[in-house]
Amino acid sequence: MGIINFAPKILDPIPGGKYVVNAIDYVVNWARANSIWPLTYGTSCCAIEMMSSSMARYDIARFGSEVFRASPRQADLFILAGTITRRMAPAIQMLWEQIPGPKYAIAMGACTISGGPFIYDNYAVVRGAQNLIPVDVFVPGCPPRPEALFHGLLTLREKILKETCRNPWHEGQPKDVSTMDRYREAAKTWAALEEMKDEEMAEARAKFKEENPDYKSSFKPIRVKKEDFPEVERKPFRRVGLTQLELYQKLHDKFPGITFHTHSEDPIETVLANAPADRPLEVMVEPEDYVAVTEFVKNDPEFKMDFLIDVTAIDYDDHFDLVTQLRSLQIGHKIFLCVQLKKDFSIPEEKRATSLLASVPTVSHLYPAAEFKEREVYDMFGINFEGHPDQRRIFLDKDFVGFPLRKDFTHPEMIRRPV
Amino acid sequence: MIQPRFSNLPPGFRIQRETNTEEFFINMGPQHPSTHGALRLALRMDGETIVELVPHFGYIHRGMEKQAESMSYLQYIALSDRQDYLTAIQNNLGVVIALEKGMNVGVPEKGEYIRVMLQELGRIASHLVFYGCFGGDLGGQTCLLFGFKEREMIHDILEEVTGSRLTTNFFRPGGSRYDVPDTFIPRVKAFLDHLEDAMRDYERFLSKNIIVLERSIGIGVLSKEDAIAYGCSGPVLRASGVEFDVRRANPYSIYDQFDFDIPVFHNGDCYDRYKIRIAEIHESMKILRQCIDKFPKDGPWRSKEKPVRLPVGRYYSEIETAKGLYATYVVAATTGEKPYRIHTRGPSFPHIAALNKMVQGHKVSDLVTIMATLDPVIPEIDR
Ligand code: SF4
Repeated sequence: MGIINFAPKILDPIPGGKYVVNAIDYVVNWARANSIWPLTYGTSCCAIEMMSSSMARYDIARFGSEVFRASPRQADLFILAGTITRRMAPAIQMLWEQIPGPKYAIAMGACTISGGPFIYDNYAVVRGAQNLIPVDVFVPGCPPRPEALFHGLLTLREKILKETCRNPWHEGQPKDVSTMDRYREAAKTWAALEEMKDEEMAEARAKFKEENPDYKSSFKPIRVKKEDFPEVERKPFRRVGLTQLELYQKLHDKFPGITFHTHSEDPIETVLANAPADRPLEVMVEPEDYVAVTEFVKNDPEFKMDFLIDVTAIDYDDHFDLVTQLRSLQIGHKIFLCVQLKKDFSIPEEKRATSLLASVPTVSHLYPAAEFKEREVYDMFGINFEGHPDQRRIFLDKDFVGFPLRKDFTHPEMIRRPV
Repeated sequence: MIQPRFSNLPPGFRIQRETNTEEFFINMGPQHPSTHGALRLALRMDGETIVELVPHFGYIHRGMEKQAESMSYLQYIALSDRQDYLTAIQNNLGVVIALEKGMNVGVPEKGEYIRVMLQELGRIASHLVFYGCFGGDLGGQTCLLFGFKEREMIHDILEEVTGSRLTTNFFRPGGSRYDVPDTFIPRVKAFLDHLEDAMRDYERFLSKNIIVLERSIGIGVLSKEDAIAYGCSGPVLRASGVEFDVRRANPYSIYDQFDFDIPVFHNGDCYDRYKIRIAEIHESMKILRQCIDKFPKDGPWRSKEKPVRLPVGRYYSEIETAKGLYATYVVAATTGEKPYRIHTRGPSFPHIAALNKMVQGHKVSDLVTIMATLDPVIPEIDR
């Protein structure tokens, strides 16, 4: 509350005083509207367009907003560039509270308007920034072009110019995250509008026919010829390193428990010999052998699998498939070790969704890269890694309930995609 | 003997160590200009020196993999744009190659040339952003303006071809969405001529700059062994002396038909990671020039359109994006239009995992330099 907020009370009753108030308004709004300093904040794609707009080609300085402040305490404008996740939401509210008033917010991009591409089947994204903080201007697009952002800025300017100290800027309250499905609401409105339009069109057509009974349209549809494309055979990319068959045989000699799953009826050797050159070998490994096999392929001079591409898992009804993808940087071949982990069904049914259903020894002592990847698998699937040095959730909050990439995962905020 | 001040370390911190000075913790992010997005870094400090660093991810975890399970394969191509948005066009190719392996469709020659040219343009665009951010993080805002200036020209070309500046969503199994316009080749040519001049200036501006040399040589050294063990790829791995580039090791598309070098540097410090990206811009320009010479005038630009249905199986593809090895793993449990599971391996994730190794013993301001030279894109880590 500045002194100017009392000015109308004192000056307005005085004859001619209201002109003074208007003059104060004019000066204050002019100053505010011409130098809006945004906060340097961006989480994803839209932030890059925000950066582009402040660069030489688009030059946000033309609108007085080139001073991007890294501290919220020096900013006036919060450009919400990028998807807002449930984990980021408290940070955003805190940033908003740290900006001194008068402050404004522009929601940039589809994500901050409604959730954008992440609206359905999603447990992580907040559907719209207006659920968190009061937003002044929405800029649609995915991502909005810099010109669109400027349009948003100019719209905000107009809004600021309409403020007066008789009706001063006041702070809205941060809100709770709601689960409203804006897309379906919008779709309903849209459908209603379409129906109205159809009715109007039908009426107009009937009227036209009444007035011109012998009118005949000269419209003839033409058919655009579809371009003809040839069928092209795929040429597999060049093979590097040992062939699938050699790799498989060498592994199988050492560990007889290793098998290869195929849907075809031919013997494994024929299938492997005929496999495309650029398909990596994927073998099934017994859980007991898993660490031994990994250690073997890492150190054996014929395999030299020194590089861990990824560790991931797949959820099936009664088991998980843990896939460890390895490659050799020197030789160039790849092996995917697939471990089938039976789910532990001795856990009572109501507790299954929140408990670890399978367990496997870690390989993070062999490949340090596996440490974070295994944390991801633990976080997403609820597979326990025995001997993991730091097994915590990695992407989700530590009090998140359930494991999202399981097929039976449910979340109260999740909206199913309409089919 | 001096006892460690904190007997109970916060989660993630592991190094047991005694310090003489006061030990304290600093939190950096999730909203911090130099963490390149929503990444939070927790630092354990001994005076001014970093003892240990723990990254906290997930501030931009958007649940893409869960969402993909209810989407069709084609819809997922659009989501892949939003992972590493600086090289969206390259991510598209990574997904599409995996689908092509399943559908067993090939790409005609012109289509392959379009792919390679857009790939290299995307790589240059991403490295230009790196150039800008590297300079910007060291305090030189001018570099930021420089890097983005040439990048806009690439965006003009991309916009003309794909219809979108950033999120391109362009490639399809068997080719691409559209043919390139006639102006494409002359524009790329003009752009390359311009970039050649511009890069000369830009290199002169940063490469011998005393501030850059002092702040990057010997900072954030990542040894060859560590780089491999942590699964680093792309320029970060090659700056540590490992010659590994998927374009050379497992050539995809028609990369085996071009003559280009894989630049390798051996010190593994920030300066090498900077130099290698500059060298890669020049290599990309070399590939683009060869493409322009050999670009087929006519001929089909895509193969016959087929419904995108994958037979049961698991399909894997890997490509080299500007940041490193980008792999897509598609699991089809039933023949159909929807995946059972899609998993993406982004290149930035291992780089941040290795960050702890690089920053130990450095100051916070060096951490900013190191982060800039890793050039991470956080949404691609969190997905
Ligand atoms: S609106 Fe589109 S471009 Fe912007 S953050 Fe969301 S997904 Fe990315």
